[in-house]
Amino acid sequence: MSNIAKRQTSTLDKVLRVALYVTLLAMAFVYLAPFIVMLLTSLKDVEEIRTGTLLSLPASLDFYAWGKAWSGACTGGTCEGIAPYFLNSFQIVIPAVLISTIVGALNGYVISHWKFRGSNFFFAALLLGCFIPFQVILLPMAKTLGWLGVANTTSGLVFVHVVYGVAFTTLFFRNFYQAVPAELVKAARLDGAGFFTIFYRIILPISTPIIVVTIIWQFTQIWNDFLFGVAFSGFDTQPVTVALNNLVNTSFGGKEYNVDMAAAIIAALPTLLVYVLAGKYFVRGLTAGAVKG
Amino acid sequence: MANLVIENVKKRYGQNEILKGINISIETGEFLILVGPSGCGKSTLMNSIAGLEEVSDGRIMIDGQDVTFASPKDRDIAMVFQSYALYPNMTVAENISFGLEMRKVPKEEREKEVSRVADMLQIGHLLKRKPAQLSGGQRQRVAMGRALARRPKMYLFDEPLSNLDAKLRVEMRTEIKKLHQKLGTTIVYVTHDQIEAMTLADRIAVMKDGEVQQLGTPQEIYDDPANLFVAGFMGSPAMNFIPAQVVEQNGVCALSLKTQSNVVLPFPKPDALSGHLGQTVLLGLRPEMITEPQPHKEGLEFVVKADIEVEVTEPMGADTMIVTRIENAEVNCRSNPAYSAQPGDTIAMMFDTSKAVVFDCETEERLDK
Amino acid sequence: MTTKSANSGSGMTQSRRPARLSLADWMPKLVMAPTVITTIVCIYGYMIWTAVLSFTNSRMLPTYKFVGTAQYERLFENDRWLVALSNLGVFGGLFILICLFLGVMLAIFLDQKIRAEGAIRTIYLYPMAISFIVTGTAWKWLLNPTNGIEKMMIEFGFEDFKFNWLSDPDMVVYCLVIAAVWQASGFVMALFLAGLRGVDGEMIKAAQLDGAGIFTTYRRIILPSLKPVFFSALVILSHIAIKSFDLVASLTNGGPGYSSDLPANFMYTHAFNRSQMGLGSASAMVMLGCVLAILIPYLYSELRGERHE
Repeated sequence: MSNIAKRQTSTLDKVLRVALYVTLLAMAFVYLAPFIVMLLTSLKDVEEIRTGTLLSLPASLDFYAWGKAWSGACTGGTCEGIAPYFLNSFQIVIPAVLISTIVGALNGYVISHWKFRGSNFFFAALLLGCFIPFQVILLPMAKTLGWLGVANTTSGLVFVHVVYGVAFTTLFFRNFYQAVPAELVKAARLDGAGFFTIFYRIILPISTPIIVVTIIWQFTQIWNDFLFGVAFSGFDTQPVTVALNNLVNTSFGGKEYNVDMAAAIIAALPTLLVYVLAGKYFVRGLTAGAVKG
Repeated sequence: MANLVIENVKKRYGQNEILKGINISIETGEFLILVGPSGCGKSTLMNSIAGLEEVSDGRIMIDGQDVTFASPKDRDIAMVFQSYALYPNMTVAENISFGLEMRKVPKEEREKEVSRVADMLQIGHLLKRKPAQLSGGQRQRVAMGRALARRPKMYLFDEPLSNLDAKLRVEMRTEIKKLHQKLGTTIVYVTHDQIEAMTLADRIAVMKDGEVQQLGTPQEIYDDPANLFVAGFMGSPAMNFIPAQVVEQNGVCALSLKTQSNVVLPFPKPDALSGHLGQTVLLGLRPEMITEPQPHKEGLEFVVKADIEVEVTEPMGADTMIVTRIENAEVNCRSNPAYSAQPGDTIAMMFDTSKAVVFDCETEERLDK
Repeated sequence: MTTKSANSGSGMTQSRRPARLSLADWMPKLVMAPTVITTIVCIYGYMIWTAVLSFTNSRMLPTYKFVGTAQYERLFENDRWLVALSNLGVFGGLFILICLFLGVMLAIFLDQKIRAEGAIRTIYLYPMAISFIVTGTAWKWLLNPTNGIEKMMIEFGFEDFKFNWLSDPDMVVYCLVIAAVWQASGFVMALFLAGLRGVDGEMIKAAQLDGAGIFTTYRRIILPSLKPVFFSALVILSHIAIKSFDLVASLTNGGPGYSSDLPANFMYTHAFNRSQMGLGSASAMVMLGCVLAILIPYLYSELRGERHE
């Protein structure tokens, strides 16, 4: 025992340990810095931005930029800030997340406990679908949305997000349900329960963790989406990412970096909040998508 | 309560034939055990009886009714699973009454049934707990309670004791046997543990590679195995298989084998050997038939004394196993612990061939049936 | 329900499957049906549709005048596409390498029983929670040639410090690398950290009893056992790289000129803004080819591994 204790406190180990902490903290600063800069910049006025540096502190807390970003900044054609688009995003995200989660849960349940001829093959096909570059489907989808009469509408965007989100939600639930013993379903079938009763009474009550993971994953993905938003949304149904990009790239009058930064933080806030509150589940979603069960 | 008839049941997965035509028929109230090594198809057969897997061919009748394609819930069968498969989100009471609820039994009746079952299995104090709060043995009891509550026609047990520790396993084994005696319901029970099979069954079906090797009472299977596989699978330590030459002695066929010296063992059915004179066959002799010299057996017809060289001794308490080597086959002998023997010793042992069996070396089939 | 099949010769009775299946038997298939349909139509059908378009001379609207591989020939004569492709090579290569290096390093460092590990991990990973559009906006400001990092360094006393990559056509692609690494390296860290935590502790003890030091243990025992994590990370990172669209749109908008275009942006610009549907489709098909080239070997080995279980 004493040997081990001595070895742990040798000088070399101490130095290494200090170096380790210094490196880790320095890296933490590197990761944090952009956000700190965004925050500081959003609180300065234009004059301060011109004279100061990225990390110089604002002389006084000035929320002018936040107000303007929220309700006055110009995004392309109109100058109503990003507030309407922020709401658009919610209108897209909430139904899309709910539908894709429910469909994914049912799919995962079927694929893991009610296998039928070809269900595994189909799962593989769906899995491959997770990975296609969406550029391949953009043009036909635009045509289809037109035919369905939902081009440039919120429902159209919800539809697109559900269709391409279901691959991931199915993967999540399938991997989770794969670990639920098949005997549980067999026992329930012998007890006389049917397909939906088993799902509702036995499977769903033990699915809380994966439901949380899936909802968080889908929320983050759809909130942060830009490609579908820019390709399929109309002028007044744009999600906040598209509006933010328009705002930043609008060369209308002088560049107001403080407004850009405030708008960017606002756009990032919902997902950041989710991450801070439920980071554990967010990480689980990330790694679940990567390391298949 | 019901009888069960399985006729020519086959199960294929693509090219793979898991069940190759199973025929089993048991009477109402019988305790049937399906036993065999893993992958022999016993669990598939069990699932087919339950209706959880569809058979490819053949038919299954319960109580005279063809249920081959009936859905599990219509077969009135209850099953106890190896993993217990308790619903994790429900309390013990809810677990037990779930099947009744699904069958639309009114609430008061369900409650009555739960308390009846709980009394029978002594789990009354656990009714409000969740499965995660139970020990392995308690879960096992709850799983049985869930099966009992529905009073089904037939019970299926799928290796119900294999997740318990050794002591509990023996206890629950006795419990299951008592339960069967009390209820008298037909039971089909899958296990790979041959002791469980011997102790519990009215009849045993020994399976291998998707075929029933032998169907019979435990004693039949033990004393009169159909082939080398059955003989080797049932019994612990396993039956000894000793290469022996068929010779003629005093005008009848007998078996000659080489221990420390040449010994010739008489055989109860010498005529079965006559076609194999001069050939080598496998003599099957259970360990308890090779013992230390016992005065009361001296001079019996099928008892012969011979010297063996002790390789290892394994004291087991009640007996001591003496391991020797005959014709390059390891041979276990069951002796009295008082009969002291050291590795390397040459000692006299008594070979009793009154229950011996012989097998063909090539086909592994019984020669003296 | 049963018939004696006298003609079959076996003499065995055989049950007939009831011809009419109940709704319960169809339920699983019914539940999956919508997804099956959308997968077939909206993934594979559209893929084929795009493939068909890439062989036509569609411009603003789809036309079905087939022109053979003319669009692909045009594509590979198009300087902008070639720039986008070579950008993808540089961007993808560097992005993947740096992310892997940083991710593995940080994961190992964090695995040393670090105090406040949770907080540090949270900080490394938070960029993954935000949109590439936000990332692009932030870094656009940080990398601003006059007011960004350059100015800060000059104020710190480095008078001659020059940092104008964002406006330099030769260097702008590295700006994409910086921003993308900032966003995704924490994710690689999380993957590897999860992998490290899953390594069998007894194996490490055995290695230490065998006399292996901490570096040897990592190099010879632990890291090699993380091969699957490594491959997963590789596939996901290359996938992110090939699909990268939003980062370019917000950080550089493809500029200066088209020097920082990536294939995804090329496709979008030509298909939606320039009414070059045929050409856009052809570029999308090339992107798909790139993804499949990486993915199919990976999925093949994954699925094969699963079958062995």
